[in-house]
Amino acid sequence: MEISVLFFGVLAEVTGTHIKHYRDIKSFGDLKHRIGDDFPEIVHYYFRIAVNSKIINEDPLLSPGDVVAYMPPFAGG
Amino acid sequence: MRLINGPLTPGAISEIVAKGGENQECGAHSLFLGQVRRDEADGKFVKAIEYSAFEEMVTMEADKINKSILSEFNDVKALEIIHSKGLVKSGGISLLVMVSAGHRDHASKACAKAVELIKEKLPIWKKEIFEDDSGHWKQNE
Repeated sequence: MEISVLFFGVLAEVTGTHIKHYRDIKSFGDLKHRIGDDFPEIVHYYFRIAVNSKIINEDPLLSPGDVVAYMPPFAGG
Repeated sequence: MRLINGPLTPGAISEIVAKGGENQECGAHSLFLGQVRRDEADGKFVKAIEYSAFEEMVTMEADKINKSILSEFNDVKALEIIHSKGLVKSGGISLLVMVSAGHRDHASKACAKAVELIKEKLPIWKKEIFEDDSGHWKQNE
């Protein structure tokens, strides 16, 4: 399935992109591995992940077209 | 909740205050303005902050904050949140929270609570830009 991945804050800077589209994703674990292979430096940063704008605490079941966001600690205000 | 490009201008702030004043059930409005501080680090001063946001999620989370405040403080009639995105120079206003309530007690308490929730829940990021154009990503504690 195709999944869009958004990067925010320092992660957009580190990866050099705000969005990347992945094809033939089999699972969330598969996606995380693909992202880790593309951007190995992100392991040095703390972040939370949201799927379709909802923060997840466990690996979710993905559906085609889902939007996954990699989010560093918030800094609004 | 609105995200606007750049700082909140005095004119925009006045409009929001005037709009709040139209609600004649209210006896109190509590207004919080967040300003970009000219912090110093290693002898360099912050000249601006660059804000970015996950806008879709900001909207969803702000809606939850709104509901949470209205349910916790039953005297609150309205809550307005405006946050900047993009560049705001030091001294510029980057956040406005205005709570309108029947009485001052709920207005001020709800306003303080809303600011805390905004810092904790809204997916917004900021990068301090120093006078030499170097940058530093900040995070809320």
